[in-house]
Amino acid sequence: MTKTMYDTILVPTDGSKVAEKAVEHAIDLAQKYDAKLHALYVVDTDAVDIGLGTEQVERIKAGKFGEMEELQNRAKKATNAVGEAAAEHGIEVIEDVAAGRPHRSIDEYAKKNDIDLIVMGSKGRSGVRRALLGSVTERTLRSTYIPVLVVDFREEDD
Amino acid sequence: MAAELLMEASVVLANDYTNALEEGFKVIPALTVVLMLAVFLGVGWFFRVAAVDELWVAGRSIGPIENGMAIGANWMSAASYLGVAALVGTLGYFGLAYVVGWTTGYFILLIFMAAQFRRFGKYTAPDFVGDRFYSEKARAIAAFTTLVIAVVYAIGQGSGMGLMAEYILGVSYEVGVVVFMLVTIGYVALSGMLGTTKNMAIQYVILIVAFTGGLYAVGWTQGYSTVFPYLEFGAETAELSEIAAEAERQFIEPFAQGSLYAWVALAVSLILGTCGLPHVLVRFYTVDNERTARWSTVWGLLFICILYWGTAAYAVFGGLLYEDPASGADTGVTTGEVGSFMDMPGADADALVVLAAQLADLPEWLVGLVAAGAVAAALATTAGLFISASSAASHDIYTTLYNPDATQRQQVLVGRTTIVAVGLLVMLIALNPPALIGELVAMSFAIAASVFFPVFFLGLWWENATSEGAIAGMLTGIGISFVAILNDVLPMYVDIGGEGAVSPELAAILPGTSSALIGVPVVFLVIIAVSRVTQDPPEDVKRMVRQCHSPEPMSQQQTAEDVAATDGGQPADD
Repeated sequence: MTKTMYDTILVPTDGSKVAEKAVEHAIDLAQKYDAKLHALYVVDTDAVDIGLGTEQVERIKAGKFGEMEELQNRAKKATNAVGEAAAEHGIEVIEDVAAGRPHRSIDEYAKKNDIDLIVMGSKGRSGVRRALLGSVTERTLRSTYIPVLVVDFREEDD
Repeated sequence: MAAELLMEASVVLANDYTNALEEGFKVIPALTVVLMLAVFLGVGWFFRVAAVDELWVAGRSIGPIENGMAIGANWMSAASYLGVAALVGTLGYFGLAYVVGWTTGYFILLIFMAAQFRRFGKYTAPDFVGDRFYSEKARAIAAFTTLVIAVVYAIGQGSGMGLMAEYILGVSYEVGVVVFMLVTIGYVALSGMLGTTKNMAIQYVILIVAFTGGLYAVGWTQGYSTVFPYLEFGAETAELSEIAAEAERQFIEPFAQGSLYAWVALAVSLILGTCGLPHVLVRFYTVDNERTARWSTVWGLLFICILYWGTAAYAVFGGLLYEDPASGADTGVTTGEVGSFMDMPGADADALVVLAAQLADLPEWLVGLVAAGAVAAALATTAGLFISASSAASHDIYTTLYNPDATQRQQVLVGRTTIVAVGLLVMLIALNPPALIGELVAMSFAIAASVFFPVFFLGLWWENATSEGAIAGMLTGIGISFVAILNDVLPMYVDIGGEGAVSPELAAILPGTSSALIGVPVVFLVIIAVSRVTQDPPEDVKRMVRQCHSPEPMSQQQTAEDVAATDGGQPADD
């Protein structure tokens, strides 16, 4: 197989509408470039800490993600959605789950798997929400050297 | 009852004398606190979870000693560090109910609940209630109660931090509460990951070194004690009780300050409350196995004991020094404001541990260290409480009940908003706390005991407890404990004429700090009665309950749910 510019494409997903929008673009690109598509769900350890408790973060660190069914199901649901959408276009998807701070985990995963392009959704945030949450996409842009395609999501796209 | 005492005291002290804590900004103690916070932040940053290498490969898990220390740090708050000595100092024998109550609960946890909770293997307390009683309504009530407990419990911590800020920073109590609460909110809300078990172990070490260091130094310099102050304060106690007797107060006479009934009611409330506190139980859900759960409890109990045993010694040393300060400073007694140490104003009582070190004329850095230990104790517990509040709001209420499709980012937003909101509410109430630190915390124990202990206990041990029974029981528990607390504290906020409780008769039988002696049996009866007349729980729930105390040890990664699903849940012989 001849090496094109984008042989492997990564689409991180959290199962939201914003991510779905990016998935459409990723599938189209994967088709055009005949690229392999990776779907990654990152279990956000900040969310686990504040939503389930610090002890649960340590549970993940201790390698017991296998017993945390609820989190696994969420992750599977999100990556399966990518797999199904891609299957309609005859594209195979490698689904994976990671844990940590999303931008760091995305960057590490991309490096480990020789990803050529990351496709991510973004929803403009401003004011308090931005101060409290920041934007995973923005942080990923800043922490990775791999090209990132940002797909803006607007409410009227619904 | 002692809430009245506090009010009386603040009325008596209408003139100059405010409290005995030295005023003014102190450089070394302030640096100690800053350094301590920097260490917590540094450790949190160093052990932060940037990315987990491999989700399904066993990593390092937490051993029983480390978990025991975390239990200790989570458990021992400003109420233990400052409050218990205050209560023993001002109420004498009656205050011992706090020492007994706040340690004995761990035996019940150890025998009946720690390992069983581990077997159930859930994330949060409302998760347990929701899944065990197959009811979202039950989950919602549990989440609400978790929030209330976090707020009431944290008020006491805010109050303790304010007092320590008075000494360390030389600011007013109110400014102190605001400053330290804002630091705490920021610490928990914006940085995540900081409450790691590592940090809790460090917090435990700091608080226990500061506490026992202060105790040894006071005992040694004043000639009260030598190598083991825990057993060397008998003569001092006798001396102190004579001083009290001259002022016509009873220090060591049992039940002079409160009746036998009040003493027992308080101790029972605290014991059972221990077994119903969401932020205590989280440490059992996640350990490797039941054995670790049990041994963590044993170690935790030892670590806790080191502090509690010392509180009475502190109270006695502090009382003597309050009567006759080695440093020559003014106290309520030397200025003639109060008749004896037992009548010291609430602000002095709650600062008694630090005050003892200060009045013993110990060097400022050492007094500062004792104060910093109190801040560490308050901070560690508040962080745990805030996380239990944020998880109740974000996981149990928002995600599970309201928006099942919530993204992780939305959960973080809800969680952080909750922490900020709870923090601000706590700060506001702590500006003018309705009772002594120890009493405030005891009120949250009364709620935990009446609302949670019965559903946890019956939920784990009686498979026929139904969702209707649990809901009726929890609502009854909320009713009893809330009425008792409001009866005590309402006159602080609403003018209903007169001081003290709304109904003194009710307060005598059902004190806000000790409503569980009546509350718990009533709630048990309600759950059992309602469960009897409603339809039995589904078979899979019953299997899960049986598995929680099966004699077959489970492998590391199993939970009761898995076992019940695979072997059909043969009734275990227990």
